[in-house]
Amino acid sequence: MRPRRWRPLVRRTLRGLAFVAVAVWSLFPILFVIHASFRPPATIFAVPPQYLVPPTTQNYVELAKLWPEFFGSLANSLVITLGATALTVVTSALAGWVYARRRGRLLTSSAFFMVLVRMFPPIVITLPLFPAVNAAGLSDTHLVLVLLYAAFFVSLGTWIMKAFVDQVPREFEEAAEVDGASLWQMLRHVIVPLVIPGMIAAAVFIFIFAWNEFLFAFVFTTTRARTAPLVISEMLGSVTGVDWGPVFAAATIQLVPVLLFVVLLQRHLVAGLTAGGVKG
Amino acid sequence: MRARPIHYLLISPAQLLLVVTIFVPSLWVGWLSLHEASFGTEARYVGFANYAKLAADPYFWRAFLNTVVIVNVIVYAELLLGLGVALLFAGGLPFPRLMLAIVLAPYAISEVVVVIMWKTMFEPQVGVMQLLLGALGIPGLEWAVNPLHGLTLIVLLAVWHHLPFTFLLLYAALLGVPKELHEAAKVDGAGAWRAFLHVTLPSIMPAILVALLFRYVFAFRLFSEPWLLTQGGPARMTEVMAVYLYKAAFRYHELGLAAATGWAMLLLSLAISIPYLRAVQRRMFADAT
Repeated sequence: MRPRRWRPLVRRTLRGLAFVAVAVWSLFPILFVIHASFRPPATIFAVPPQYLVPPTTQNYVELAKLWPEFFGSLANSLVITLGATALTVVTSALAGWVYARRRGRLLTSSAFFMVLVRMFPPIVITLPLFPAVNAAGLSDTHLVLVLLYAAFFVSLGTWIMKAFVDQVPREFEEAAEVDGASLWQMLRHVIVPLVIPGMIAAAVFIFIFAWNEFLFAFVFTTTRARTAPLVISEMLGSVTGVDWGPVFAAATIQLVPVLLFVVLLQRHLVAGLTAGGVKG
Repeated sequence: MRARPIHYLLISPAQLLLVVTIFVPSLWVGWLSLHEASFGTEARYVGFANYAKLAADPYFWRAFLNTVVIVNVIVYAELLLGLGVALLFAGGLPFPRLMLAIVLAPYAISEVVVVIMWKTMFEPQVGVMQLLLGALGIPGLEWAVNPLHGLTLIVLLAVWHHLPFTFLLLYAALLGVPKELHEAAKVDGAGAWRAFLHVTLPSIMPAILVALLFRYVFAFRLFSEPWLLTQGGPARMTEVMAVYLYKAAFRYHELGLAAATGWAMLLLSLAISIPYLRAVQRRMFADAT
C-alpha cells in the first residue's frame, strides 16, 4: 500500500485521540470529586488507589451530622443568587434597551463608564466597604452580596441586552406607539417577549458567578448569610484535620446543580459571550 | 434618536449600582492610600508614605513578581490550549452539543471546589496525579513546601478553570471565518500551515486580542485559588498582589498599606486595558450622535 492511503486514517485517529484528551482534561477532576463522594472515606486516599469499591452514602450522612449548617448555607446561596440574578437582569434590560435605541454624548459617556468600571479589581473595594457595611448594620446580610454581585455583572448584562435589543426592528416599537401604548406597555409587551433569550444569557452568567463566588462572601459574611462555597472552605480549614468524605459530599451537592445549568443552557452561554458580551 | 430624561431614569439603576458599590469606594481607596489608618481609628494624612513603605517591602515585590510571572504563564498557556482546542473543534465536531458541554463544564465550578479537586489529586504521596507522575518516573509536586511547585499548581488550576472562556471566544471567531477564504488559499496552493498563518490567524486576531486583554485583567485579580491552596505560604513566598492586600488589611490591619496596594492594582489593571478602552471609546463616540 502506498503511504498516501494511510494519511486520512492517521489523521482521523489523531483527531479522535485529541477529542478524548480534551474530554479527559475537562471531566476527570469533576468526576473524581463526584466519585470520591460515594467512596468509603478510608479508600479515598488508599495506595494503590481503589476505585472499584461498592458506593456508599456514608459521606452524605456524615456531612448532615457534622456540618448541618451546610444545608442552611445552600439556602443562603440560592436566595442570594436568585436576588442578584433578578436585580442584574432587570437593571441590565432597562439600560440595554436605552443604549440600543438612544444616542447622545452624555449617554455614550455613561456607556463608556460601564466598560471602564468592569476593569476595577473587586478586592480593592473591600477596604472601604468593610467598615461602611458594618456601620450601616448590613454586615452578614444577604442584601450586601446581592448588591455586590449585581454591580459586578450589570455591565456585562447591559452589553448582552443591548446586543439583543439591536436585533429587534424599531418598526415594532413605532407600531406600538401608533397604537397609543405607553413606554412601559411597549417595553413590557413588545420588547421583553422578543429579548427573552438575551435575558436568559445575561442570567446564566450572573447565576454561575453568584452561586460560586468566594471573596465577597468570605469578607462580608460570618454566620447568618454564609454561602455554600464559604462553608466548604471552612470545612477545609478545620484544625483537627480535614474530614475529606463530607468535603467531597458538600462539593458534589454544590457543583451538580450549576453543572446541569451550564449543560442545559450552553447555547445561551455561547450566545451571551459572542453577542457583544465582551466585545464592548 | 436623542435621549430624553426618561431614558436617563431607565439607565440610573444600573449606573447607581456601579457608582455606589464600585466607583466611589475605589476612589475612596485612593484617598485612603495617602493616610495611615486601621479599622476603627481616625485616618491621619501621611502623603506618599504608604507607597514608600510598599516599595521598601520585599514581600510586596515578591507578591508583585509572582503575580506578573503567573499571570503571563496562565494567559499564554490558556491562549495556546484554547486556540488548539478551538481549531480541533472547528475542523469538524462529533456530538457537538455533548463535546461543547464537556469543554464548558469547568466554567460551572466554584473556585473553592476547583481547589479541592486539584489539592486532592496532588495530595503528597497519595494523590492520583502524584502516583501517575511517579509511575512515569517524574517526581511529584511538593506544592506545600516548595514555592515554585505551589505556584505551578496555582497556574494549573487557573488554566483548567478559565480555559472555557478563552476557548469559547476563539471558537466563535473561528466559526465566523468565511469558508471561501480557505478555499481561495487552497486554490493558490497554500499548505495547511501557511493557510493558518496567512488566512485564519489574521481573521481571528481581534478575538485573540480581546481574549488576551480580558484574561490579563481577570487573572490579575487572582485571589481565591492561592488563598485557599497555600494562603501565600510557605513564608509568604506564593503570595500574589490580592493576597498581599488582603493580609495587609485583614490580618495586619494596615489599611493605608492595603489601600496603596489596591490603588496600584487598579492603575495597573487600567494600564493593561488602555488599548482596548481606547478602541471601545472610538467606536462608541463615532456612533454617538
